[in-house]
Amino acid sequence: MIELTNVSKSYRTDTIETLALQHLNLTVPAGEFLSIMGPSGCGKSTLLNIMGLIDEPTAGRVVLAGQEVTGYNGSRVARFRNEQLGFIFQSFHLINDLSVVDNVELPLLYRKVGSKERKRRSLEALEHVGLSNRAFHFPNQLSGGQKQRVAIARAIVGQPNILLADEPTGNLDSHMGGEIMDILLRLNQELGTTIVMVTHDERMAKKTHRLVRLSDGERVS
Amino acid sequence: MLQNYLTLALKVLRRKPFYAFVSLFGISFTLMILMLLTSLFDAGLGRNQPMTKRDRLLVAPMAERLRYEPDTTLSIETIYADDGTERYDTTEEITENVVSNSNGPMSYRFLMDNLADMEAAERMAIYHDGNFTDGFIDGRKFTFSTYYTNADYWRVLDFDFRFGQPFNEADVAAGNQKVVLTDRAARAYFGEVTADLLGREMLLGRRAFTVAGVINRPLSDSPMFGGDIYLPLTTLDQRSLSSTDVSGGFSAIFEVSSPERRKVLSEEINFMAEHFTFPPESDYNKLKIMNASIPEAYAMRVVQEQDPARALRILFIPVVILLLLFVALPLINLINLNISRVYERRAEIGVRKAFGAEARDVLLQFLFENLVITAIGGAIGLVLAFFLIWYINTNDLLGITRLSLSWQVVFYYFIVILLFGLLSGILPAYRVSRTNVANALRG
Repeated sequence: MIELTNVSKSYRTDTIETLALQHLNLTVPAGEFLSIMGPSGCGKSTLLNIMGLIDEPTAGRVVLAGQEVTGYNGSRVARFRNEQLGFIFQSFHLINDLSVVDNVELPLLYRKVGSKERKRRSLEALEHVGLSNRAFHFPNQLSGGQKQRVAIARAIVGQPNILLADEPTGNLDSHMGGEIMDILLRLNQELGTTIVMVTHDERMAKKTHRLVRLSDGERVS
Repeated sequence: MLQNYLTLALKVLRRKPFYAFVSLFGISFTLMILMLLTSLFDAGLGRNQPMTKRDRLLVAPMAERLRYEPDTTLSIETIYADDGTERYDTTEEITENVVSNSNGPMSYRFLMDNLADMEAAERMAIYHDGNFTDGFIDGRKFTFSTYYTNADYWRVLDFDFRFGQPFNEADVAAGNQKVVLTDRAARAYFGEVTADLLGREMLLGRRAFTVAGVINRPLSDSPMFGGDIYLPLTTLDQRSLSSTDVSGGFSAIFEVSSPERRKVLSEEINFMAEHFTFPPESDYNKLKIMNASIPEAYAMRVVQEQDPARALRILFIPVVILLLLFVALPLINLINLNISRVYERRAEIGVRKAFGAEARDVLLQFLFENLVITAIGGAIGLVLAFFLIWYINTNDLLGITRLSLSWQVVFYYFIVILLFGLLSGILPAYRVSRTNVANALRG
């Protein structure tokens, strides 16, 4: 499902070159729930960005859902992200001016899906995360845990094969974090969605199928 | 999707009241001024009554008489041959110079004898302006701007008759003392504007004229139709009609069958002028008849230039430059505001792109939002402009000219709104559409 071969990423300024990832090899089979851990600045988010086609590797090969995506650009990347990938962010990134259901339907706006169908599928996604009763509320009327559940609904509404979660419980207390983790585990089990999660929380990581540790841009376990 | 964008556009406006106020004030004020200017130009140049045939009219307001005299230049060139002898080569160059000229409206006879049968013209309106007539009633005196016209004048120009009708060929031929007057003149003289005025008498000078019709005053002030009262030209002093001189007090407006025929007619008039023969005793030996389209005639009058094409350039190039400068300032201001507005929404753009929005989608979203905001500002501007136009017209703040409020003006206004929205939105929208997703999501 996800195959990274000899992937490196460096950031270059006029005077200095920073290596964020070095010759990283990683394979995530379909249906796996993988967590990535490591100290700040070790390249976790960079790795997730490369998997999400948000960032390009400096070197190496990336295969996602059976497609060699290295070198994809413009509308091909946009379409691939829209159809194959779902994102969950630490700070939720909901649009405060839109209602919960309007936030959830966002990925469907960029597909040829009619408004009624968008609404139906968004409500269904909210049902999955137990928030259908908050569909017409606005994000600032919700708690942190509820916001993250909306973000999960948004990530799954397009039925992506891969979910990429960047510290999804990082801004939540342990109780709410636990709830979010349970939802992700359930999605993984029930829908078979491949999930890659970056986390700092060892307890959360232990709940996943496999843990990969990074340090200074290199895989250490 | 558009509903999503619309919701966001309105929410963003409500979220930042000060930004909304500055944006909307700038947009509505600018568009209101543009609407007033459009309205002013439309009043003078639009297809409003009595110029509904504007594109099929050619105006010949005056003729220019010139005296050309030959001017001989003799050049002697000295050449030295190889054997030392001198030779002379003499060249005589004869040129023509204008030594005197005179221009002004033409005589009635000249028009009838030379311009009445132009092949390219459907008909010719003749008018004599620049007169003032005293009208008397109940011991009161009024001074009216008076036009003397032929019957075709009322066919070429399409006046908006409130009551009655114009005088016809028979009236003109018989010199019937009939008058057509504007609603304003009627109100001033009779104290009312009703159908009862038809058939009533107006004492103009020492003669009594019967009211044949009452017209609504045209929107703009034009030498072609600036009268308070209109009389058959045969009621003029007979000497004015019988003079055989080229100059007199009359001008002509030609109606042609299609806009393209104006050029043919113009060439025909120029041909006639070139071949016109002055009587031997005349001080002049060349004739030019100025003829111009309505926009050219408008420009000639405004900038006081006699060459139609040059007049048009002199009037419109500075006007366009000034308009562009006038629009540029609020436009740049709005672009700046929009750039800061969209910059604040980088995270949203990052999320949209992460979930599949292409650069084009983001560009269209922000352009659409900007168009919504411009449309709101435009609607406010429209209401303000309507109010101002009503106020200016009601109080005659522009003298004879009144601002027009036609559907054409509103149509132009919507085009301006659209352009304003696109121009002020395209740069910010383009910049934001290039946002790097990773950077945007990092915040």
